[in-house]
Amino acid sequence: MNAIFEEIKEAIIDGDEELAVELAEKVVAEKIDPVQAVQLGFIKGIEEVGKSWTNGEAFLPDVMMAADAMKAGMDVLEGVLAAGEGEGTYEDKGKIILGTVDGDIHDIGKNIVGALLTAAGFKVYDIGTDQKAENFVKKADEVGAKILAASSLLTTTMKSQKVLIEYLNEQNIRDHYKVIIGGGPTSKKWGNEIGADGWAETADEAVELCKRMLI
Amino acid sequence: MLPKFDILTVEQVDKIHKNSMKILAEIGVEFSYDPAIEILKNHGQRVEGHRVYFDPEFVENMVEKAPSQFTLHARNPEHNLVCGDESIIYMPGYGAPFIYEADGLKRDATMDDYNNFVKLAGASKNMHMTGGTVVEPTDIEDEIRHLKMAYSHIINSDKCFMGSSSGYEKAQDSIEITALLHGGMDVIKAKPALICLINSVTPLKYDDRMLGGLMAYAKAGQAMVIASLVMSGSTGPATMAGALSLQNAEVLAGITLAQCINPGTPVVYGSTSAVTDMSTGSLSIGNPENALFTSASAQLARFYGVPCRGGGGLTDSKTVDAQAGYESMMVLFATSTTGVNFVMHTAGILQYYMAMSYEKFMVDDEISGMILRYLKGFDCESDEKMAFDVIEKVGPGGHFLTQKHTRKNFKLEFYRPALSDRQSFDGWSKESLDTNQRAKLKWQEVLASYVPPVLDAAVNEKILTYIEKRSKELLK
Repeated sequence: MNAIFEEIKEAIIDGDEELAVELAEKVVAEKIDPVQAVQLGFIKGIEEVGKSWTNGEAFLPDVMMAADAMKAGMDVLEGVLAAGEGEGTYEDKGKIILGTVDGDIHDIGKNIVGALLTAAGFKVYDIGTDQKAENFVKKADEVGAKILAASSLLTTTMKSQKVLIEYLNEQNIRDHYKVIIGGGPTSKKWGNEIGADGWAETADEAVELCKRMLI
Repeated sequence: MLPKFDILTVEQVDKIHKNSMKILAEIGVEFSYDPAIEILKNHGQRVEGHRVYFDPEFVENMVEKAPSQFTLHARNPEHNLVCGDESIIYMPGYGAPFIYEADGLKRDATMDDYNNFVKLAGASKNMHMTGGTVVEPTDIEDEIRHLKMAYSHIINSDKCFMGSSSGYEKAQDSIEITALLHGGMDVIKAKPALICLINSVTPLKYDDRMLGGLMAYAKAGQAMVIASLVMSGSTGPATMAGALSLQNAEVLAGITLAQCINPGTPVVYGSTSAVTDMSTGSLSIGNPENALFTSASAQLARFYGVPCRGGGGLTDSKTVDAQAGYESMMVLFATSTTGVNFVMHTAGILQYYMAMSYEKFMVDDEISGMILRYLKGFDCESDEKMAFDVIEKVGPGGHFLTQKHTRKNFKLEFYRPALSDRQSFDGWSKESLDTNQRAKLKWQEVLASYVPPVLDAAVNEKILTYIEKRSKELLK
């Protein structure tokens, strides 16, 4: 096994974004098998972090920095992976569009959910804060995602989660996606009321929710 | 009143102040609201896009314009409140969307809950005002919630209350209604009667909604709390000194803007900074760090010569248990003994501001009563208080239970608990009620016997007409 895979794994565990990018660039430059780099390097690293998180040994900065390093490194490999280079193929566990709804600019909770989903092997497309319904759909169609995850921290912006679902209904595309919601003032009852497919109170529960929906 | 104690040294205050000024000058603060940008630009501050870089001297001069204390006027002048100096103002929790019931049930808060908490605060001798957004009444349309909430405070009590700061328009409605209550805009401009909460979006931002509210209150000469909630470790640095500097920069930026709009407008330096729970990412408020941030904020506010808001009966617990009690006592005690003047969230909060609980309200009301007594300290002013004569009269080996001095003074000096159980074991075990169960009986009893003070019928009519007119416009 190429020693670089072990280095990639360690870079992810350390949450060292710069090193992860540097190593990914080396993989491309030296024509090392990118699929193996993902499977034996990036994924092994993030799995390790995920395990420590579950055991309560890792804390948020550990997981979030690992997820950032993973994303940055994988972005470098995207081109060669798309070109079909390497033995076999790499597949993520599922694609998720994540964003904070229209009118709300809070993003810490959303970012935590994004990191934990990444650590659990999902491919997360974070479209940012203050996002209208159509932006969730646009990104989902662009990347072929089936889950729309909408966050809201304020009682006054929760209704934008409802607007997202109404938009899908109006466009007759409701059955193309699973919509999950979360955020401080939201509740299971609210999720049911607006017809969301799922609600989670914590980031860990959001990961479990996505696993149930996609696996 | 007990002297308030400092937790920072003079050198530490200086370091925090300079660090905040460096943040304001070199990193700047983002204001999304164009009118606010215009005002700061016109006052000579460097603006790039929506980011404002403050001149430290300018900030100091503007903060200087803010009054060190002001009086907030109530419908009943007996409830007028001085905010600043040695005063302390307690009120219910603010903004929780949920109610946690005594048996552990979680449900959405409603307008009935809203009215109940206003009444409980109205009835309490420890709550100096009835607060604002005592819960989020989620059964009322968002567009007209602020009108219903304002009316609840007006009809259910004659104490001071807080108004909406959710955008210019809603803020203006709250101000108009308060003007109707007090006899006109001119009256409340001369005698501020309303106060609102303006929050920054940490790190280093103010959004449209809050800036709209800030401008409405500043123009009308009404008071406002300008507060920052740094979640140390997530929305701010994980060091206490760094997080405090960041908070300080944000609050000073907000105060500066308010003083630019209306020099001398009453502002309160606000802090709700606390820490992030690094295993879940959630805010955590029932801890020594929050107590430290609160006390340090009170000291910084003294340094800048403005009143301070912070702390409360704060906990991360989900039910009225020992954790709820010890965390709330720690934070409210620190809040009260280190010089915070305006204490939102004094009573009722569970789970880091997410929920209100009736039982927790009664527990916090008891804690408040205990602390208010503590703050009075010792009275050594008269011979009677020094009690030499009665000590002489009883002499060695006697007792004081049958002395007139005792009968008169114990009522003046001892705090009499409303909720705590001081019975013998046998006495207690007849019903074996724990605090949570006793608190439930207590709030039901208080609500059942509460009679709201009568509101002048003509004033009531005017306010109702205004609310009806605005509701129609807003729900169109």
